[in-house]
Amino acid sequence: MLRLRFHGRGGQGAKVASRVLGTAAFLDGYNVQDFPLYGAEKRGAPITAFTRISRENIMERGVISDPDIVIVIDETLLSDPKAMPLSGLKKGGVVFVNTPQSPLETQERYSITDHVITLDLTKIGLDMIGKPVLSSLAAAVASRIAGIGEDALRDALEKELSGIISDRGILEKNAEAALYCYDAVVPVQMKTTEAIREGENVINIPFETARVSSPAINATGNTPLRRTGNWRVFRPIWDYDLCTRCMTCVARCPEGCIQVNEDGYPYADYENCKGCLICARECPVKAINDVREMHSQSEEGEL
Amino acid sequence: MQGRDKDMDTAPIRSIREIPPEENVLSGTPACAGCGGLLTLRHCLKALGEKIVIVNAASCFTLLSIYPFTPFKNSWLYTAMACAPAGAQGVRDALDILIKKGKLDPEENLKVVVLTGDGSAYDMGLSSTSGALYRNLDFYYICYDNEAYGNTGFQQSGATPFGSRTATSPPGGVRPAGTQLQKKDLFEIWNSHNPPYLATISPAYPVDLMNKFRKAEQYKGPKLFISHSSCPPGWGFDPSQSVSLAKLSVETGIWPLKESVHGKVEHTFVPKKFKPVEDYLKEQERFAHLFKPVRQEDILKSIQGMVDEYWRKYKLLP
Ligand SMILES: Cc1ncc(C[n+]2csc(CCOP(=O)(O)OP(=O)(O)O)c2C)c(N)n1
Ligand code: SF4
Ligand code: SF4
Ligand code: SF4
Ligand SMILES: [Mg+2]
Repeated sequence: MLRLRFHGRGGQGAKVASRVLGTAAFLDGYNVQDFPLYGAEKRGAPITAFTRISRENIMERGVISDPDIVIVIDETLLSDPKAMPLSGLKKGGVVFVNTPQSPLETQERYSITDHVITLDLTKIGLDMIGKPVLSSLAAAVASRIAGIGEDALRDALEKELSGIISDRGILEKNAEAALYCYDAVVPVQMKTTEAIREGENVINIPFETARVSSPAINATGNTPLRRTGNWRVFRPIWDYDLCTRCMTCVARCPEGCIQVNEDGYPYADYENCKGCLICARECPVKAINDVREMHSQSEEGEL
Repeated sequence: MQGRDKDMDTAPIRSIREIPPEENVLSGTPACAGCGGLLTLRHCLKALGEKIVIVNAASCFTLLSIYPFTPFKNSWLYTAMACAPAGAQGVRDALDILIKKGKLDPEENLKVVVLTGDGSAYDMGLSSTSGALYRNLDFYYICYDNEAYGNTGFQQSGATPFGSRTATSPPGGVRPAGTQLQKKDLFEIWNSHNPPYLATISPAYPVDLMNKFRKAEQYKGPKLFISHSSCPPGWGFDPSQSVSLAKLSVETGIWPLKESVHGKVEHTFVPKKFKPVEDYLKEQERFAHLFKPVRQEDILKSIQGMVDEYWRKYKLLP
């Protein structure tokens, strides 16, 4: 049995990716299971989705804690203690990372010793679909690594996406981009052992009475610690030569993360700017440009 | 009448440059990028200041505070969907009793602010709001109306507009419009209770929003606000369009900006020339079925017709 685990952030498409992979494997004649796991948050929070693929009946249930293949859709999760995408990966397993960097660079950067495959899915999504929607692309990559046939993938995309996307044109662009990713990945011979890496333990939280464990928040205004800046696909950049200090962008930012410097020019708190780009669209003189965010090229933690 | 809050400036502002710089909803929340409701809330809390208690019915915005984080500088209480106004009554009474007993300095008094989505305001919490209005409870109500039950995956609510797609009203053979029912007129429902102050607001018109809060400040009793709140994942548009769509809903006449003082309604902004509703509809995936694969002329006409009829009723359209 092959066990795959997808890691993304809410809204990126990890759930749909595991669904498409599951359907593709099913259409290819396998028994499958696929299901997501997420918390209460709306967006941005780490999300995990799972797929089991087997020739035999699958009797196993519950989350996959010892995957053969890990698909990391959001690179910033590799350094997020809430996600820990590599935990439990079997020796000899495969890690896919959505990043502009090479496998070697990625292995070094995140101290990964297992086989790493990389592809800049975000760029492919932007170039071929026009949006950073990654579900079908991640599904295609996972299908290739898991050895699922191209026709099955094509059918699965049609079956799963036609209910979500009403525009035929966008649907076809998704399929085209997915098959491009499918071909871009070099398949690997995987030999995983059942041995799980050492030093990774499941943490048991002791039972506490409601007075201790009930969620009363006694702090004020501490959400900036969450650093939603790693949600960004594009970064807004201000051109002070054009800026007239009109304050429009400051008034339009839903996050309230644009401040004004001593000279009256606006600047963003990149630690929490989510990259919605309302500021760029609303600026009357187009003084705000957007550039593709390269999380792997920014300093660790510093965005 | 409890003394006017010295913290709150009541003079009207004229431009966005005069919006107070203090942020009372901080960044880093789990709300989606480009959430129009969050932009509304940010401006509302700039107007209200820090000395408030928020009573928040289950919705997207109850997720703004997820243990151990909160974006607020003020206290916050979570209630079930139907009963935020009842919760507000309890908080108001408790504060009043503490002040009366000399246990709370009147200077430390807090404003009680109900915050709910449209699901609570238009549907589940309608009766508890009616009760609070009937009792003339001294509170603020902010409804951010994203026109569906957003948090649970965008199901149809009493605020969902005719002709739009939701998870529970997908367009198809038997109902080509998607949502077949008309959006309730919550403004009129609330207004029939004669509250001292009631207004519609928009995240795209922060000066209008700010001045409405400043005006409302002088009244004791219910002060109610309904904000048309653009929702990128629910409505299906790119987050960067959130403000431009909120603006279009006003410019097309779909969302009238108005206020009512003791039941008397005045429009606070009337577009010089109304844009066609299509300009607004065609930007959103939830209305895509009205244009593709075939144009549903009858539905588009009837949406335009309803908007025209509204403005004719007020003699603001020939
Ligand atoms: C009585 C009840 N039914 C259902 C729910 C589940 N629920 C939680 S939030 C939510 C959606 C609320 O919609 P709305 O008030 O419009 O706020 P939004 O999520 O759109 O912000 C629902 C249905 C609940 N909490 N209580
Ligand atoms: S909206 Fe544009 S011109 Fe105005 S302050 Fe912002 S960057 Fe400057
Ligand atoms: S991109 Fe969005 S979140 Fe970032 S500064 Fe601009 S408006 Fe604010
Ligand atoms: S679903 Fe809509 S209303 Fe809810 S947080 Fe996201 S954008 Fe805001
Ligand atoms: Mg809602």
